[in-house]
Amino acid sequence: MRTWAWLAGGVLVLGCGGRPSAWDSSYQPVSTGQGLAPAYGLTGAVAVVDSSLERLTVLRSPSPLTLAAQSIPLGKDLATAQTSADRKTLFVLSRGVQPQRNPGDEPAQLLLIDGSTTPKVERSYALNEPMDQLALDPKNEWAVLYSGSGVVVNPNELELVDLSTAGSDAITQKTLRSFGGKPNRFTFTAPLAVPGGDPKRFLIVERDSDLVLIDLANPTSDVTVPLPLTDTGGSATSAQVVYDADSATIGVRVTGTTSVFLLQLAAPTQAGQDFSVVTNLVDVGGLPATIDFVHNAQGLRLVALVGTSAVLVDPVTAITQAAQMPVAFTGIRRITDELNPSATAPNGDVALLYGANTTQIAYFNLGGAPGALYRSIEPYDIGVSVKDVIDIPGDDFFDHKILETPSQDFYVLDLTNRQSAPMQTQTGLALEVAPDGDRVWAYQSGTEGFATVDFRTLHPISLQAERAVTNVFDIAAASGGRSAVALHLGIGEPPGIGATVVDALAPSTATARFYSGFDLGGIH
Amino acid sequence: MICRKLQAVLGACALSLTSALVHAESLGSHQPHLEASLGARVSKVADAGYDPFANSDELAQVSLGLGGTLFAHDRFSLAAVGFWDYGTHTGEARGAQTSLVVHRLSVGPELRYHLITPLYVFVHALPAFAHSEASLDDGVAAATLSAEHWSYGLDGAAGAAFEVYGKPSGQSWRPRLWVIAEGGYGYLGTTRLSLKAKADSGAPERTAPVDLGSLSLAGPYLRVSAAVSF
Repeated sequence: MRTWAWLAGGVLVLGCGGRPSAWDSSYQPVSTGQGLAPAYGLTGAVAVVDSSLERLTVLRSPSPLTLAAQSIPLGKDLATAQTSADRKTLFVLSRGVQPQRNPGDEPAQLLLIDGSTTPKVERSYALNEPMDQLALDPKNEWAVLYSGSGVVVNPNELELVDLSTAGSDAITQKTLRSFGGKPNRFTFTAPLAVPGGDPKRFLIVERDSDLVLIDLANPTSDVTVPLPLTDTGGSATSAQVVYDADSATIGVRVTGTTSVFLLQLAAPTQAGQDFSVVTNLVDVGGLPATIDFVHNAQGLRLVALVGTSAVLVDPVTAITQAAQMPVAFTGIRRITDELNPSATAPNGDVALLYGANTTQIAYFNLGGAPGALYRSIEPYDIGVSVKDVIDIPGDDFFDHKILETPSQDFYVLDLTNRQSAPMQTQTGLALEVAPDGDRVWAYQSGTEGFATVDFRTLHPISLQAERAVTNVFDIAAASGGRSAVALHLGIGEPPGIGATVVDALAPSTATARFYSGFDLGGIH
Repeated sequence: MICRKLQAVLGACALSLTSALVHAESLGSHQPHLEASLGARVSKVADAGYDPFANSDELAQVSLGLGGTLFAHDRFSLAAVGFWDYGTHTGEARGAQTSLVVHRLSVGPELRYHLITPLYVFVHALPAFAHSEASLDDGVAAATLSAEHWSYGLDGAAGAAFEVYGKPSGQSWRPRLWVIAEGGYGYLGTTRLSLKAKADSGAPERTAPVDLGSLSLAGPYLRVSAAVSF
């Protein structure tokens, strides 16, 4: 009897021991409504969020047509994530263990992940309180965390993270003086040439009824500027903020008013000030659809698109001048820098006008004499309306734009030659411009088909994956060349992480390789 | 195919054991001349490579054994024994069905000592080789991916056998029944778990293998058997 008991005990001992609970947790793609995307395209890697394991599965391409995966642990309770403007870094904000019960409980943190061909955690910043929202500086110098999720939340509390510094010294906590509003949007300016000192970068915080200007060189210093009332006397909110760095002028489009709000940053007028603000309100004759700063032969102007008029406002004198537009354009994009020097108008900017309610686009040439304004707008009918204008990165096709339309088609616009190439599709497609700027990828999530258009030849190549595609990203391969990674996230039962990789420079499904099981890697 | 190979090897072992059989005289037929066993082997596989296939560390196998005494002197005897252990384990890895089929063949010497007539203790060290087949039902590929490997090692164990049925006389040649228990450590080398799709599996063209890391089935084990001896 004793022998049997010993044996039974031995069997029990052998049977003990489990496995990491991660094996029992299925992969599910993140739904975009959670402040996260299922995957992020970086310069040299694709980061797939595996929220159930609180990690990233990072796919990199050792050589074209090959993929390798690695796992990067993230913080607990993911809040949001964003790629930097140059796609070199992925920022991931997590809330940590809340509420904290032990000194060792993981705090809220901001994680920076290097998105090169050798992905790794670049840096992390521990936070005192969990934050839900993240705004990134296009120049990668600052990040702003806001909108906490504690029992008591101060919506006007910002955590400014100086990305050039490591550790807790990088974080400046700042509470904006509040008159009832909360931050809605953030704009990081270029260095503004404020008189009486070195150029300063500012963070412009748009709140419900005011703007806050924060001097990023001295984040404790800020100025709150109330917005003007609407034309009916109600409270207004800012709809758009633009700036001109050389003149340190900020323009604000305000809802419910036919006036544009101009802020001129000037030298300090009182002791203890870093700068002062002079405001001005200029009536442009109607509710502007959009605004931007441009330069014409006479100097800086704020252009406001009002109905079928382009109203130019001199920010110094507040004198306005209107140019008649053939249709009511609602979008403007300054394209001076994108044009070849030979095509650039002397002494002035060129802007692209477009709109979602018109099938025309127009080149707005601001280089002529004041009297020539009436003939400064050259319209082109492209047959479809334009929802958005997508920039092309890199040096090869800087003078090209992609016109995204509300219909199923998209256009590749050559600004130098003023030629537009329509790309017709069967279905509405998501567009992904390659970070090297040489091609665009188009796909419809959930279908097998995807395509690429080389900007050099404008030749579309259609590809058919063997499984439904959810995202396409174009990444650099470590050995040189580029790989296009068509992700298959959440496809099949059980859902997993798979991908089809093609050579981005010679795309063909005849040589494509299929990968799956990435969700099973890196579990210890 | 694998099973046929294993059957052939087992047959060869049995023949060699039988041919090598010598008669032990002191304890008579209580000292098993030829012994066949059927039992269960439970191994503890702590290797992380086993995790995709099981939510616990145990690997249970059916165990068939065959042994024959080569040499006997008083209470000591030396036998040649061989075991074929077969087990399969199915599990889920993040929702994907997995399975692992393991054949293990071990052959070698066993030293026995009779404490009393119906009870002997033994130790053995048996060179072992195992064939494992791991498979994964991949939802994205919509196919079953698999990997087969051979690995080699050594089983070292000690145990005891108790005669539960048999004539008291050692001169009797009627079968005797034994209960045998042993415990030890089974070492096996590490194999790479690179699961590939078969050509007709329905997986996409040029499907890359799924890399589940490496697997070692080494670990302590218990084996409990019932044996019949002559």
